[in-house]
Amino acid sequence: MKCYLGIDIGSISTKGVIIDEENNIIASSYIWTEGNPVESVKKLVEILKQQLPEEYKIHGIGTTGSARKLIGIMLNANVVKNEITAHAVGTLAFHPDVKTILEIGGQDSKIIILRNGIIVDYAMNTLCAAGTGSFLSSQAKRLSIPIEDFGEIALTSKNPAKIAARCTVFAESDLIHKAQVGYSKQDIIAGLCKSIVLNYLNNVGKGKKIRGPIIFQGGVSKNKGVLKYFREILNEDVMVDENGHLMGAIGIAILSKKESSEKQYDLNIEDIKFITKANECNKCPNNCEILRIYKNDEHVDSWGSMCGKVK
Amino acid sequence: MTIGIPRSMFYYYFNKKWKYFFDYLNINTIISPKTNREILDNGIKLSTDEMCLSLKSYIGHVDYLKDKCDYILIPRIDNYGRKEQTCTNFLAIYDIINNIFDIKILDYNIDLENNETELEGLLKLSKILKKTKSEIKKAYSYACTMEGKEKKKTIIDNMNKLSSTKTKILLIGHSYNLYDSLIGVPIIKYLEKLNCEIIYSDLFDYKSTKDIVSKYSKNLYWKYSKQNISSLKYIDKVDGIIFLSTFPCGLDSLVNELVFRKINKPYLNLILDDLGGIAGIETRIESFVDIFEY
Ligand code: SF4
Ligand code: SF4
Repeated sequence: MKCYLGIDIGSISTKGVIIDEENNIIASSYIWTEGNPVESVKKLVEILKQQLPEEYKIHGIGTTGSARKLIGIMLNANVVKNEITAHAVGTLAFHPDVKTILEIGGQDSKIIILRNGIIVDYAMNTLCAAGTGSFLSSQAKRLSIPIEDFGEIALTSKNPAKIAARCTVFAESDLIHKAQVGYSKQDIIAGLCKSIVLNYLNNVGKGKKIRGPIIFQGGVSKNKGVLKYFREILNEDVMVDENGHLMGAIGIAILSKKESSEKQYDLNIEDIKFITKANECNKCPNNCEILRIYKNDEHVDSWGSMCGKVK
Repeated sequence: MTIGIPRSMFYYYFNKKWKYFFDYLNINTIISPKTNREILDNGIKLSTDEMCLSLKSYIGHVDYLKDKCDYILIPRIDNYGRKEQTCTNFLAIYDIINNIFDIKILDYNIDLENNETELEGLLKLSKILKKTKSEIKKAYSYACTMEGKEKKKTIIDNMNKLSSTKTKILLIGHSYNLYDSLIGVPIIKYLEKLNCEIIYSDLFDYKSTKDIVSKYSKNLYWKYSKQNISSLKYIDKVDGIIFLSTFPCGLDSLVNELVFRKINKPYLNLILDDLGGIAGIETRIESFVDIFEY
């Protein structure tokens, strides 16, 4: 039987799924990237292989996420695509009528607006950390409360502290101030969750037509406090899919299915030596940093050349 | 005598006119090469933090030319009439360059509100250029005719692209950013690789598109900004819009924001401040273009 592998590889986590012709998930895994995409993909593929029943054969491989190009070459992927498209395609497979995807991850946040199953607009936060998960975790650390408990604690607050949400620096000093004037931890945590939502809506969501059905994804979607304030402020139901973190991988697997052929892939990459070398080219004043990819010592690809002539 | 022309800022508005003008007068010119990392890095080193990336790059180009010519050509442009002002940098570059470098500058003013036309300005150069006023007049009128012809052709080409069957992207930005080899060109090349048709905001007949500007704001008085957004007259014919700016640009941040609030089309706002790499920008462009394909 035919099946398709999708890998979503970011700087923090590596996610992989194998789906069948009907988009059912037959294997899936989620591991930390730990700064080494090549090794983490090798690990991920081993895990997926063990879950995969024997009768299934891989007919397409897709990669997405920040290291998609490198991993795409490593696995001979037939599709390499950005994570926004992949997320939208994946989410649509399970929620065909979704109109808005909110996503807050560890490092960045995004919004995707869809109508009739088509992406019509999107935006990405590229400048500010105040609306992302890393801000929440650093504040959790400061308050010495495990981040996993944040959501539950926030739900107990009746009077969330108002926290300047515009930027991390302000938010942080405001937090300290609120603690000093005697706000309870619940109220501060609730205020923090609310400020994440406000910041997100003012930055990434600015000017976007947010309509239901709305789905909330990314690491922060596990936080019930943030979810609650999204619902409250948008005055709409906001869903969280338990497979939300896999949507990028699922989406890219679906795209690879669309472009697949009779060609079969094996997944024996364990012993393949895969290295990248960076070198500066000095043939002209641009001094490009050229990244070369070697598979078993054979030069397979390179990028970084501005003129396109240096391989 | 050799006149140095930095391939930056003004160059992208006047290069054709200048070429025909100086060729006609038989005066040697040297144009700095396309911006490369070294030129930009030198420009950054010589400039202050508050300057926009485009201006920093300009300074790098002057630095490249400083020992290779007798004069650097720098116009001082204040306005093209009432409510047709330019960015203050267009007026200030002369002084900025004068402050940083010890070089001779060939300068002339354009300030139509005070009746200082381009021709008036060029005529005043007759002594330095060692040409008679009538020679300059002839050269100028020749340059204007030739430039006009070429411009017409580029405008027609640009208009024709509006009926292309590919994904059509209107690229809005200042000419010196759009066509700079480190700023706009990598973006244009990438869009072409994604099989998009690119329509350029600065290649329309401003006289015929001008009216649309008041739809976005009635108070704008920056000529080039108005010209750029006047391309939105054809908004219904394109699939999406990409705004390209360099950081920090007061004009773009205001004007583009006004436009964002009123358009009903997918758009992407790209602001370049550090040209470290295009990888992150490629992701944003690819996902933007995917809007029209998935
Ligand atoms: S790769 Fe090309 S553009 Fe880059 S430094 Fe080498 S020759 Fe120059
Ligand atoms: S308009 Fe903007 S980009 Fe152009 S010179 Fe002025 S500040 Fe720089």
